[in-house]
Amino acid sequence: MRMPPFELHLPESLDSAMTIAGELADEDCDFDWIAGGTDLLPNYKWHLNSKPHVISLAKVSELSTLEPTHIGAMVRLQALATSDSCHPLLRQTSGTIASVMIRRSGTVGGNICLDTRCFWFNQGEEWRRSIDWCIKCDCGTGADCRVISHQNELCVATYQADLAASLLALDATIHLASPDGSRSLPLAEFFQEDGITRNVLKDGEMVTHLTLPDDAEDWQGDYQKLRLRESWDFPEAGIAAAWKIDGDGNLDGLRVASTALESIPRLHQELADEAREGWAGVESVNSLAVAVQKAVKPVNNTWFPPSYRKKMVRVLTRRALAPLERVEAAN
Amino acid sequence: MSDDDEMVGYKQQPGKLPFARPGSGGSEKFSELRDESRIPESQGGTLAQPQGANRHDSLITGAAIGRRTPMVDSRWKVMGQAKYGDDIRLPGELFGRILRSPHHYARIRSIDTSAAEALPGVVAVSTGSEAPACFGVLPVTKDEHAMAQEKVRHVGDLVACVAAEDELTALEALRLIEVDYEVLDAVHDMRDGLKDAEEPIHDRGKYHIGDSNVQKRVFQEFGDISGMRDSAVATHTSDWYFAGANHGFTEPHAVAAHWEPNGRLTLYTPQQVPHYVHRALADVLDIPMHQINVYRTAVGGGFGGKSDPFPHEMCAAILARKSGRPVRITFDRDEVFYVNRGRHPSRLGMVIHADSQGRLCGMETDALLDGGAFASFGHVTTYYNGVLHTAPYEIGGFHYTGTRVWTNKPASGAMRGHGAVNSRCAVEVGIDDVCEQLSVDPIDFRLANLLPPMSRTITGFRITSIGMRECLERVRRASDWDDRFRKLPLGHGLGIGCGFFISGSALPIHWEPNKFPHATVHLKVDMDGGVTVHTGAAEIGQGSDTVVALAVAEVLGLPLDMIRIRSRESDTSPVDLGSYSSRVTFMNCNAAISAAMEIRQELLDATSMITGAPTERLVIGDRRIFSKDDPAVGVSYLEALQKAQEDRGALASSGAYRTPPMGRTHKGAAAGLAPAYSFSAYVAEVKVDVETGQTSVLKVWAAHDCGKALNPLAVEGQMIGSIHMGMGQVLSEEMRYGRSGNLLNADLLDYKIPTVHEMPEVTPIIVESNDPEGPFGAKEAGEGPLLPILPAICNAVYDAIGIRIHELPLAPALVHREIEKRCKELGIDDPLDLPSPDLEHSPLHHVLRERADEHSVRDLERKLDGERDQYHNGALFGLDATIPADEQDDSWTAVVLPDEQYLESPRLAGSAWLHVERRHQGGDA
Repeated sequence: MRMPPFELHLPESLDSAMTIAGELADEDCDFDWIAGGTDLLPNYKWHLNSKPHVISLAKVSELSTLEPTHIGAMVRLQALATSDSCHPLLRQTSGTIASVMIRRSGTVGGNICLDTRCFWFNQGEEWRRSIDWCIKCDCGTGADCRVISHQNELCVATYQADLAASLLALDATIHLASPDGSRSLPLAEFFQEDGITRNVLKDGEMVTHLTLPDDAEDWQGDYQKLRLRESWDFPEAGIAAAWKIDGDGNLDGLRVASTALESIPRLHQELADEAREGWAGVESVNSLAVAVQKAVKPVNNTWFPPSYRKKMVRVLTRRALAPLERVEAAN
Repeated sequence: MSDDDEMVGYKQQPGKLPFARPGSGGSEKFSELRDESRIPESQGGTLAQPQGANRHDSLITGAAIGRRTPMVDSRWKVMGQAKYGDDIRLPGELFGRILRSPHHYARIRSIDTSAAEALPGVVAVSTGSEAPACFGVLPVTKDEHAMAQEKVRHVGDLVACVAAEDELTALEALRLIEVDYEVLDAVHDMRDGLKDAEEPIHDRGKYHIGDSNVQKRVFQEFGDISGMRDSAVATHTSDWYFAGANHGFTEPHAVAAHWEPNGRLTLYTPQQVPHYVHRALADVLDIPMHQINVYRTAVGGGFGGKSDPFPHEMCAAILARKSGRPVRITFDRDEVFYVNRGRHPSRLGMVIHADSQGRLCGMETDALLDGGAFASFGHVTTYYNGVLHTAPYEIGGFHYTGTRVWTNKPASGAMRGHGAVNSRCAVEVGIDDVCEQLSVDPIDFRLANLLPPMSRTITGFRITSIGMRECLERVRRASDWDDRFRKLPLGHGLGIGCGFFISGSALPIHWEPNKFPHATVHLKVDMDGGVTVHTGAAEIGQGSDTVVALAVAEVLGLPLDMIRIRSRESDTSPVDLGSYSSRVTFMNCNAAISAAMEIRQELLDATSMITGAPTERLVIGDRRIFSKDDPAVGVSYLEALQKAQEDRGALASSGAYRTPPMGRTHKGAAAGLAPAYSFSAYVAEVKVDVETGQTSVLKVWAAHDCGKALNPLAVEGQMIGSIHMGMGQVLSEEMRYGRSGNLLNADLLDYKIPTVHEMPEVTPIIVESNDPEGPFGAKEAGEGPLLPILPAICNAVYDAIGIRIHELPLAPALVHREIEKRCKELGIDDPLDLPSPDLEHSPLHHVLRERADEHSVRDLERKLDGERDQYHNGALFGLDATIPADEQDDSWTAVVLPDEQYLESPRLAGSAWLHVERRHQGGDA
């Protein structure tokens, strides 16, 4: 299995990365960023939307900062999983990603920007030719979506990054840089419900780091992941919950987010707010679980059937919220 | 020798040192005393032999067998020095790549390779028209070609191949080959394969079965067929679906072909069965076999998936001949799935009858097998799905209909436990269900229904040693079965499953049993004392080099470091049929022992000449040959060897093994015949999350009867590895075909092999039943240990949640759906409120216990009694044990063709018999 040829750029600072990105843009050259490469390289080997240029961030050291509320894009997932200083929910979540070997390579930024996945897309070139390609990698044929056919507009490939759910539940802010400058936005606004564009990153733009609110340490949480094997497998459904308990032991804040169920991870803030107001322990846990289940619409393009994944959302949500079964609402 | 001794022969030059006095050899300087605890009682040692003496006892020196021995090639592997298929590098080699079909089924109208040939860097392009000869692993079903002739038969079928200076150029050249296809209607569902088709996937001429895609059909009726249904008081009926599974070996297929300057072809390939590649190459290349050297590289896992001659091996040879340069082809993982040869997707109907005495009065099996696009080993698989569950139980009736159909999928073939795995799972789950209906313990039930040693099965297989009883008893004790079975809480369960497998197929693949031995081993012992073993047995990681070395070392009393195995090349190895059907230990070690016995005799004779002690009083210890009567009278191994080599130099010997004549004479009687059979019983403990349907296996107690563990470490490794592999098929592995008929998961991320996290704690228990014909009593341990894990887990899942699921893998979504269904039936909202099954023993329990106790005594007596009478299946049902049942009782039949009555309402696979073979269709055929 061979990758198509590409030119590799190895900037040693963010500035020079931006310069290279700007130059390539000026020359109208397509390129990809590469961090750990655990997502990009397999896709390249399968000739999935490969580009003639690749800019590696491996030597850009300023992206590797890891502090309690600041997580650089180049922080390795294994560093996050074993760090004492990062939020326990992130530690737990990153510890479930892929395998130790992959986590040693894979990065936080790479996980957030993970390409969406689909049975009809993540296949070898000959395989995709045999189904006449698909919308996400149509090789110039204008092919239709193979999951939901005759729509020819929206790609429904599934976004299967674990970290997104937990970072959404912790109300993270994402910071981007491009040759035109940098910008920051709430993580929930970063994603787009489209399996091809996936997020708001513009051409040449990249993720530099994520930050958590200053009160993040007051929040506890849990991440529940549905998958067949305890290693390697992408989530078939992921539910993260975070909550804040006030001095009286009552529920003062609640966020629930889902991933791996659609083309986009979702923060279910309205549902959580509604539940929190009249929080009634087990009863609220159950009704919120049902509400989250209703809010997601998985399609048939991952290993487990969508009906099962959807049913499991309720179980996962309930399990994630289990610590709140005996908690009462704050006044 | 002092300097004054008279020299015989020429005069020594002054100052020249004489040869060193021969020592004992080996890396340890001094030989050890003979360890009497390793010498069997029958030879005056202290090694207990509860299962009696063995014909090889007198050859035991205590040097090698029975010790936990790391594989002799393990250091090469762990140090990265073993050369696997893709590690072969040849001067000036080209990269070969294969153009594969994008269609499930299509006729090729034309192929235009001109653009590819014109691409700079491309050296050779070849298409099917250059290799019209067909091949296939079985001589009766040769239906494969190097590349497609007129039609492509599955996505991934070979169309053309290219050799280029580098891989990217080869890949680019593939894109430039223009193929014009006429797409044909494809068959995806195996049930459609039973129907007449406009254009059957293959055409077998006058032997074609109707116009269908039926490749092979089997009908067998043995025993009291009408009686079994009448006397049944408990009947289990199930319809199973088993998804196809792939071997999932680590090393993808890789081959290098080199036409050497002398005009001969050397093919480097990781093969389990090099001899059949050798034959197929000669056919396809149209050259005599002596012009081909098949070089087996290290094999990175085979499990049956590297035992066919493969089209890509032919392609490499064709490209090398055409280009005049070595050509290497290495597969990507998706190509491994396209060539497949994995476990057949199957639809299995299973009926198990038990009578009021708790006897298995009947089994009715109907197996429809999805063969994919080619025959491969399928002819055999179709038999194995039935005949390999006629033991270890004594049964009253056996009805089997098996059919294998061609479909437009990658070909199914042989995979560890070949043909026996799925149907064994269905049988053992059926027995569990029958026991549930009878309210008896399933282990007691099995213990009361076992065939004795030295008996015949209902279809005439010859059972020699059988350690099934001990397997069952030991896993029962180890798992604390009696205190825990049916007593664990909801979601937590214990289950039992048994297995039975051939220890080497008695019928060689080439079907010339009377003309050629199964295995031949040559030994060469030169003056250095080391023993070179030439064998064609394919080391595929299972330890065949090690076990052959152990056998030779044991007989000659040598440390393993004095044995070197040469098993790679057909040029230097005597023909061996290869590593399939778990035949190597049994057949190859028997051949090796014969060869070593010749050398041994020469050493004893030489020792007798030196010491004057009579040969028959001499024994071999660790590198020393001495008199039983006075151990001081003896010589070192090297001294004896030098004496034996006087006047002739290196000793050489040859040993061969051929199975004894056996079996009945009906059509298909040879399928499943083996010189011995292995037995196993496992207990699995599982947890099922009733809210998610996810199953995890916590512990497995695994007892396997391998006759005699020549290398206990390897036997345990095989058991643990088998559990891992079998567990994959139960819990997660499946080749999944999507809506379009394409294989969705041709990669190791989505082909879900269990990881270390899924692996249970395994307690391996080795049972040694001492086979009378096995090498030192040994039988196989490579495939049999896989069988019981599937039903053990299925039965444990039932114990955990009280639901029988007749589909594999037990995917969480499937289990969850069944739990939901059951909750609905019972009117339960929360699955945590499901009832967990329990067991209240019925009066039959005592009948079974008593019978089991009687049989336990019977079995040991039979084993130890050299004058025993014949025992044929049927005695448990009141017939004369010494005569085959169908020869003494008219209600017991032995039929291999369906009658009209059956054809009025055949079962699913049995319906294949509604078609008439073209040659029997009358005038127009």
